[in-house]
Amino acid sequence: MSASSLPPPSAPGERPDSVLSYPKFLWSMWRLAFTGSFAYYAGMTALTAVALVGLNAWAHQLADGMVRTHMTDHVSWGLYIANFTFTVGLAAGAVMMVIPAYLYDDEEMHDVVIVGELLAVAAIVVCVGFIAVDMGRPDRMWHVIPGIGRLNWPVSMLSWDVVVLNGYLLLNLHICGYLVYMKYLRRRPNKRFYLPFVFLSIGWAISIHSVTAFLYAGLGGRPFWNSALLAPRFIVSAFITGPAFVILLLHVIRRFAPAFRVADGPIELLARVLRITILVNLFMFGSEAFTELYSGGAHHVSARYLFLGLHGKHALVPWIWTGVALNLTSAILVHLPQSRTNRTVLMAACVAAFGGVWIEKGMGLIIPGFVPSTLHEVVEYTPSLTEWKISAGIFAAGLMVLVVLLKMALPVFTGRISVARSSMTSLPPAAPSSASLLPPSSRGDVS
Amino acid sequence: MRLTACAAFLVAGCAKPFQHGEDVDAGSPSFSTEIHASPKLTSIESAETDGLGRPVRVACVTCHGVRDAGAGFPENAAVLKDFHAGLSVAHGALSCKACHVDRHGGPPMLRLATGEELATSDAIRLCAQCHGPKYQDYLHGSHGGMNGYWDLGRGPRLRNHCVDCHDPHVPKYQPSRPVLPPKDRFVTPAPVGSHHG
Amino acid sequence: MDKAKRRTLKVLGSTLGAAAFAYAIEPLRAWASDMSLGELLQKHYRELTPDEMRAVLARLEADAEAKYGREVTIEDIRPTPGVELGYALNLSVCIGCRKCAEACHVENNHDRTTNNSYIRVLEMEQGSFDLEKGTTTYDHAVPSPGKYYLPVQCQQCDNAPCVKVCPVQATWKESDGIVVVDYNWCIGCRYCEAACPYHARRFNWSKPEIPAEEINPNQSYLSNRVRPQGVVEKCTFCLHRTRKGLLPACLEACPTGARVFGNLLDPNSEIRWVLAHKRVYVLKEELGTRPRFFYYFDN
Repeated sequence: MSASSLPPPSAPGERPDSVLSYPKFLWSMWRLAFTGSFAYYAGMTALTAVALVGLNAWAHQLADGMVRTHMTDHVSWGLYIANFTFTVGLAAGAVMMVIPAYLYDDEEMHDVVIVGELLAVAAIVVCVGFIAVDMGRPDRMWHVIPGIGRLNWPVSMLSWDVVVLNGYLLLNLHICGYLVYMKYLRRRPNKRFYLPFVFLSIGWAISIHSVTAFLYAGLGGRPFWNSALLAPRFIVSAFITGPAFVILLLHVIRRFAPAFRVADGPIELLARVLRITILVNLFMFGSEAFTELYSGGAHHVSARYLFLGLHGKHALVPWIWTGVALNLTSAILVHLPQSRTNRTVLMAACVAAFGGVWIEKGMGLIIPGFVPSTLHEVVEYTPSLTEWKISAGIFAAGLMVLVVLLKMALPVFTGRISVARSSMTSLPPAAPSSASLLPPSSRGDVS
Repeated sequence: MRLTACAAFLVAGCAKPFQHGEDVDAGSPSFSTEIHASPKLTSIESAETDGLGRPVRVACVTCHGVRDAGAGFPENAAVLKDFHAGLSVAHGALSCKACHVDRHGGPPMLRLATGEELATSDAIRLCAQCHGPKYQDYLHGSHGGMNGYWDLGRGPRLRNHCVDCHDPHVPKYQPSRPVLPPKDRFVTPAPVGSHHG
Repeated sequence: MDKAKRRTLKVLGSTLGAAAFAYAIEPLRAWASDMSLGELLQKHYRELTPDEMRAVLARLEADAEAKYGREVTIEDIRPTPGVELGYALNLSVCIGCRKCAEACHVENNHDRTTNNSYIRVLEMEQGSFDLEKGTTTYDHAVPSPGKYYLPVQCQQCDNAPCVKVCPVQATWKESDGIVVVDYNWCIGCRYCEAACPYHARRFNWSKPEIPAEEINPNQSYLSNRVRPQGVVEKCTFCLHRTRKGLLPACLEACPTGARVFGNLLDPNSEIRWVLAHKRVYVLKEELGTRPRFFYYFDN
């Protein structure tokens, strides 16, 4: 953070106390989260409704048992773990903003890096949500808490995942919270309080996704996953989903929070990252597909099932080829010269890349690990309505977390909200308000 | 310390060949193994059935206690009469006299190849004279079902007799319908001929 | 819009929201009513003192009677020193009748609706070890010509992948070689199911259904008591029987005597004779799981 970008303190010499101001800060954030334009209310109401549908489906699943899903002893993980895996990648991929911002001192990226860090927080919330709904006994969640429960660390890869995911969440909460609060106090952040954590979070981001890959790669009895290439593939595809989502998000922010300056530089940098990672990912994906399909044999039937179908069963075939088509489309779009000039082309590439990886790394990765089963029975899986509802609910809740976090952080970063002027009375009249993430046209309907 | 232990487990643990703890001296067992006295040794199935649909068995002595088996054994099973009518024999090229003592009066007896006579309950010795390897397996618990205790220090064991599973006249184990088919959700029987898909 | 109107809208909105929330979580009432604080806060099996264990067993017995209408005895049976249990199965003799699977179903209080069993029998093609050519859904007279039968259950691996992956140590290997699950500690993540190369673990997708009169009342904490919904279970070599010296239920049910069970540490045991005299192999040896379940063929 350069000092010049900070607005001058409201009253020099009257330095607000950082401890005493904290309740005030929380109160301001609370008000920010719960006030907004009509469109903000409408959007949040819609997301709440989806989240409640998911919550209701989950409540039924808890009462009746996981029999509400279409998982079986043969395919014992399904849509939840697929989405979990994908979203860990999204959380890790957000670090693609942090690396240029802090490691390579990219000024323009530095201005918007908070978006990536907040995205990481929201994505981890989604990950934890998917783990929670996949558990048969969420009431026993406390068993993983070291000291009280019996976390099987370091032997179980899942215990590593518990540690690194929660660690990553805490790291990002600390970094974001600290930076936002310092902005709020109109103080220059003390590097000692956040820079070590930023660098730690870069390594940590790589670790959360590697550990998630090791969850699968470490299982000798599942040849489809038992590949050393899995962790590199995870990291590379994370660096597709992260930048792709952030590019889209930055465009949304530009539209709904124009006061928050989003330069072209960061978007172009992320697009350049995409141009590389999409190709590397396709190469790795093809390399795995070749090894599996060409060598044949009993250990490679999962790949045959995934791409071609097996014993007359081929539920995943249209699914994976859609993923391949989306990945190829994104690769072509992102390399068109127009992707540098035409926003629509770039955004279409991002949507295709996001969808392609969601398929390839979600259902396209988790389900074939179970088909055929370890005794080579071919039992198919397609998610039940309950699973779709719960998944939609979790994503809606995650989106709410992201929007609320942005709605709280961006006005502070643009200087609209600070310790000097945080009372509600000063909020709505303050000219083109950036407190709202919504365009001026839709503002004012309620406020 | 825990970390080192786990690292050691991860590295060394996987390379260890199968091994178990120190052998123990179980001492002499306090309980014994008994062999099931199958009703098949002393009775024969009749055409009648009981309330549960099982064939009613009639003890050999019911008839042979009061009347002679008659003169000699027939050359083949087809000419047998009364209770023995319809008895099929599919046991290699053996004739009746290979196993049965051909004698008027007294309880039905079996005979070994040496001519030594045996009570029907001792039929295992008779079987063993041809089926040596199977008999070895049987003696070591790896052929023929059993019930009771694996630990003879804590309780007795009951072994099946050969004839519990093998009809001496048609010893081949008879095919039967399997029980308890898998009923998991989404498990469908593989379509015939789709195996090598 | 004036302030009062806005306030009214907000109150209305939050009331509606709260009502929707209450409706959404309504099914949780049924879920919570099945749970007690004692159950929620119960310690790990290996941390329970003898007194606590007695209390837990009493609670579980009362629970079983309340939920299934059957008086049962739940014991906590510990391994015997000097005993390491092992199992061998003669593939030349097995006829694929699935009587073992049925006995397991009955003995271990499995859910009646799913025909659940810890044993899955594969009908294999003669001349091939390729599981790909096997099928579990065969429904014709057995043994069928050209086939052999491969019953698979928990192999009680010495290097058990399921134990390694459990995030909360809810499953472990006991000193007699049996891999057990604390059904009251398992969080139901099913990582062990993914890790097991032998399809040996089962998850309770719903509350097991068993008519009261069909419940086997002789139960133990670590084996055949009726499992709660949402946890993983597995074959325990019938430890409630075998730790008392009895043969496992699947062995007693085997009509051909294809199964051999005993103490691997006793040089005079049948299982040791088989290991010494037969051509024995283990399933998926290349995975390094070191099973305690052995397969063999006669000459």
